[in-house]
Amino acid sequence: MTTTKRPMEGVRILDLAGISGANGTRLLGALGAEVIVAEPPSGHTMRSWGPFVPGSAAPEGSLWWAYFAQGKKSVVVADLDALRALAATCDVVVEDAGVGVLDEVAASMGPEVIWISVTPFGRTGPRAHWRGSELVGWASSGLLHTFGFPDRPPVMPATPIQFGQHVIALDVALSAQLALRVRRRTGRGQRVDLSLQESLLFVGPETGAPLFLDDLVPRSRPGNRRAVSRPFGLYPCADGFVSVVVLQPAHWRAMAEWIRDVTGEDSLLEEAFFDIAVRWEAAEFVDAMTEAVTMSMSKLDLFIEGQRRNIPITPVNTVADLRSDPHLQAAGFWRTHEVHGTDGVVGPGAPFRVSADWWSFSRAPLLGEHTEAVLGPLRG
Amino acid sequence: MSASKCDMSHTDLNGMRALDGVRVVELSIAIAAPSVARTLAFHGAEVLKIEARSNPDVARLFGSAWARVPEFLEVFTDTSPYVPEMSAGKLSVGLELKHPEALAALHRIIATADVFITNYSTPAVRGLGLGYDEMRAIKPDIVYVAMPGFGSDESLPYYPFLAWGPNQAPLVGMDELTGYADQEPAGVASIAPPDYLAGKHGMLGVLAALDHREATGDGVFVDLSQFETTVSLLGPHIFDFELAGNVVGRRGNRDPRQAPQGCYPCAGDDRWVAVTVGDDDAWAALGEVCDEPWVTDPRFGTLDGRIAHHDEIDGLLGAWTAGHDAAEVAAWLQAAGVAAHAVLDHAGLLGDDQIRARAWYAVRGGGRFELDLFGREPLRLTETPGDVHRAGPSMGQDTRDVLTRLAGLDDAEIDVMIESGAAFAATAPDRVLQRPYHRYIDVITRVDRGGRA
Repeated sequence: MTTTKRPMEGVRILDLAGISGANGTRLLGALGAEVIVAEPPSGHTMRSWGPFVPGSAAPEGSLWWAYFAQGKKSVVVADLDALRALAATCDVVVEDAGVGVLDEVAASMGPEVIWISVTPFGRTGPRAHWRGSELVGWASSGLLHTFGFPDRPPVMPATPIQFGQHVIALDVALSAQLALRVRRRTGRGQRVDLSLQESLLFVGPETGAPLFLDDLVPRSRPGNRRAVSRPFGLYPCADGFVSVVVLQPAHWRAMAEWIRDVTGEDSLLEEAFFDIAVRWEAAEFVDAMTEAVTMSMSKLDLFIEGQRRNIPITPVNTVADLRSDPHLQAAGFWRTHEVHGTDGVVGPGAPFRVSADWWSFSRAPLLGEHTEAVLGPLRG
Repeated sequence: MSASKCDMSHTDLNGMRALDGVRVVELSIAIAAPSVARTLAFHGAEVLKIEARSNPDVARLFGSAWARVPEFLEVFTDTSPYVPEMSAGKLSVGLELKHPEALAALHRIIATADVFITNYSTPAVRGLGLGYDEMRAIKPDIVYVAMPGFGSDESLPYYPFLAWGPNQAPLVGMDELTGYADQEPAGVASIAPPDYLAGKHGMLGVLAALDHREATGDGVFVDLSQFETTVSLLGPHIFDFELAGNVVGRRGNRDPRQAPQGCYPCAGDDRWVAVTVGDDDAWAALGEVCDEPWVTDPRFGTLDGRIAHHDEIDGLLGAWTAGHDAAEVAAWLQAAGVAAHAVLDHAGLLGDDQIRARAWYAVRGGGRFELDLFGREPLRLTETPGDVHRAGPSMGQDTRDVLTRLAGLDDAEIDVMIESGAAFAATAPDRVLQRPYHRYIDVITRVDRGGRA
């Protein structure tokens, strides 16, 4: 490339949010922005989240902090006046303190500041003051209703990773980019009003009102196989589970041939079974035959052999499976991250590749590591 | 600070959109790439969706259940509710790219564009002669975003593999983490979260690349493997595996930092309320709302105690909620300061006061339907909120306009292309349909009608 300038270089961001903004500001920092996390003297809440570096604890041992605070600066801010002074030096402020809590500080900013508020339901409307959580967000989006087994309560997706918080954190990053673009043209900053309910509505048109009004088919919790056809869903295998999604005729022919090759049963190659509705009526038999195939191999072998046969099949991966996945290894996806209290730890690389030299992921800051460097100049 | 110091505080932003003046060419299917272009269109970009009758977007093939009759055959591919959800505000250009004239026309359009985005498989897009190198020869500073399931490097093991929505979540670790620890993984098959997450990262790449181009004059190739994108969220748990050998597992709705948390049964069939007790104060507040003897049990007074007795609390709390309406329980708990919400189904979304007050759903015409319905955008920039003036386009609705305006063709040349099958316009262009709920659309949704209501 003719230049090494990175896209967010020269942008200063004040991050006052928790996990709801963390990966968004991390990515903007990795693209060149200066990201300052203002922490109370006791440390950011994420510093108390386990898992921890073995033998270590808060405030410096959290692996959540080690990953999602990468590349950021830590400034301990003791009071609102100091916060106001710091915010006034920034281009973008991100906060999730709740409607009203920081409104006076926001109102004291110059017109060029971009102020991004993350709340459970948005800053307007009858629920503006309602409290939220990851689970409450999924409940309010219409999606939670469709996850889980019919005989158990609805269950949210990927609970341990706080998936919904990462969705809205991406919206933090995208809003900052859009608002900075507007500011370059007009000189004007603005308020951004993000709602977890809406961020999750966006990822679930499948369960939204427009689809339902059009067909009036209620969506409910199907368990781990869909009530559409078979095989469609998760199937047990020698060392866990695989996902098999067969709808198209060509995929079904390949699947029925695989069943024949493993079991000797060739009746599924009959014409009638090419109809997805027939396979749904014969779900018990089709599932039993599919399991005869899947139970005969490991998830990785099923993945490789199934895909070779042109069948849409994937392994249900654990973090251990992912770490040994041949594709991610060959792609050079993994990189060693600098993590306090360790000699470096292997973790995920950048979320996508670019032809320019953009990405940089550096160590998460120690509590107050940059307080003097950042606040000193403000004291003039 | 880097903010412009010039005094433009009275600049009128009215009607401005963040991406005014940006032109995007989309060659894509289903969700991941279309969702990016949909957001770009909402925020002002001119998005040209290139479509082929020989290989329609699956969002078009779904059609609508009521349209599976001969009467609607000629317009079937315009009837899916996914069309407005994924393509509101886009222009539809019908080009059969295996015809040399169609490809030549697309090249002329590309020469005027800022962004090209595709989630076709890499072999397919290269087979059409639309790889990055070919594009760069036509438009050196193009922002080229490729979003195949497994990346664009043909030397990698899964390069030729089939990737689609329901199969991506298990691959990237999400299904294993969804469900109860004592049961098979529940999976997330009802939606395709990795598709949307890949879309958001693709959008990040587009916006960063546009900034990069403005600063340097250079184009950018963004190569997004959906596999890698979602795995990048697992950082803390990959670290934990590396350092301690721990393999994170599913844990229902529970949270090690707040308890109780769960879905509790309510009056009615399959009705639930989601509750998160964030701290000891919230537990005390919940106790005042439900006023049961167990709320003051000292075993439940601390987080550790509530985690240790979570099953018992779930039984007690569930027995109390079971007698009440989910929305009522949520309102009582929220009034006391406890995070709670009814678990909404689709009908519940329509009746939700917050969704209505913030006009999440929009109604627009302009495509195959007199009025059509779709969700708006979560990126609420209060001064430049974005909007679209048209719902999803009919297939080929804008072919003539775009070929005239951007490919420099005249009517006669376009007629020749259409006759030869290299291009197509919308079928039955004057045929305007109504959704089954058309008569009730305002009653049902009470939504914003783009200033026309």
